[in-house]
Amino acid sequence: MATQIVMDQTGDTRHEFDPDNAEALARAERRFRELTGAGFTAAYRTGPGEVTRIKSFDPTAQETLFYPRLVGG
Amino acid sequence: MIAAVWLRAPARARLHALRELYRRFFGENTPDARGRRLLAEWLSPAQHAQFEQHRYFDVIGCDTGKRYRIHYGTAANVHEIDDEGRAAMGWCFVPSGFLVPGDVMLAQKVALETDESAAIALANRFPPATHSEHFYRRPF
Repeated sequence: MATQIVMDQTGDTRHEFDPDNAEALARAERRFRELTGAGFTAAYRTGPGEVTRIKSFDPTAQETLFYPRLVGG
Repeated sequence: MIAAVWLRAPARARLHALRELYRRFFGENTPDARGRRLLAEWLSPAQHAQFEQHRYFDVIGCDTGKRYRIHYGTAANVHEIDDEGRAAMGWCFVPSGFLVPGDVMLAQKVALETDESAAIALANRFPPATHSEHFYRRPF
C-alpha cells in the first residue's frame, strides 16, 4: 500500500491506495493534481530524513507528503 | 480485585485517575500529537535525537549549504546559524492555514532542504535578538 499524507488542522489526513490497482492509482493521481493545483507542495522520502520534492505524480512513491503553500510569517 | 480497590479509593482519587486516563487516551490522538508523530517519522536519526534533546533540529539549505535551526513552534522559529553556532538571522515562513507545530516544522524542513531559495525569498527576516522561548508553545 502507498500513502498520501495531507497536512491539515487535524494534524494530517492519510489516503492509502494500492499502486497495483489501476483505479486506485488514477484516484491518487487525481488527488495529487488537485492538491498541487491548489498550491500544496508534494515531497516523498528517499531515505531516513531525506526528502525530494516532486511536481508530477510518481506512482512508485510509497509515501507522499503534501503541505499547504508557504507564506511569509 | 481491581473493582474492589477502585471502589475503596476516595472519589477525588477516582476522578483524578479518570482524568489521567482520558488525557492519555485522547492526548495521543490530538492534532498536536499527530503532528509530532509525523515530524518524527520524517526526521533523520540525527535530527530526531537533536529534537528530543533540545526541542529544535538543524537542517542544511540545499542551495547555499547554510545551516538553519528549526525550533518547536509555529512562527518566528527558524534561525540561520553561523559558523560559530550562533543565530545570525531569523526567517519567518510558514505553511498557510493553522497547522500544528509538528506540521509547520516539517514543512519548513522540506522547504529548506529541497527549495531553500524559494523559501527564503518569501520569508520575513527578523533579528535573532527577538528570539525568545516565549515565542514557542510548550511541547509534550
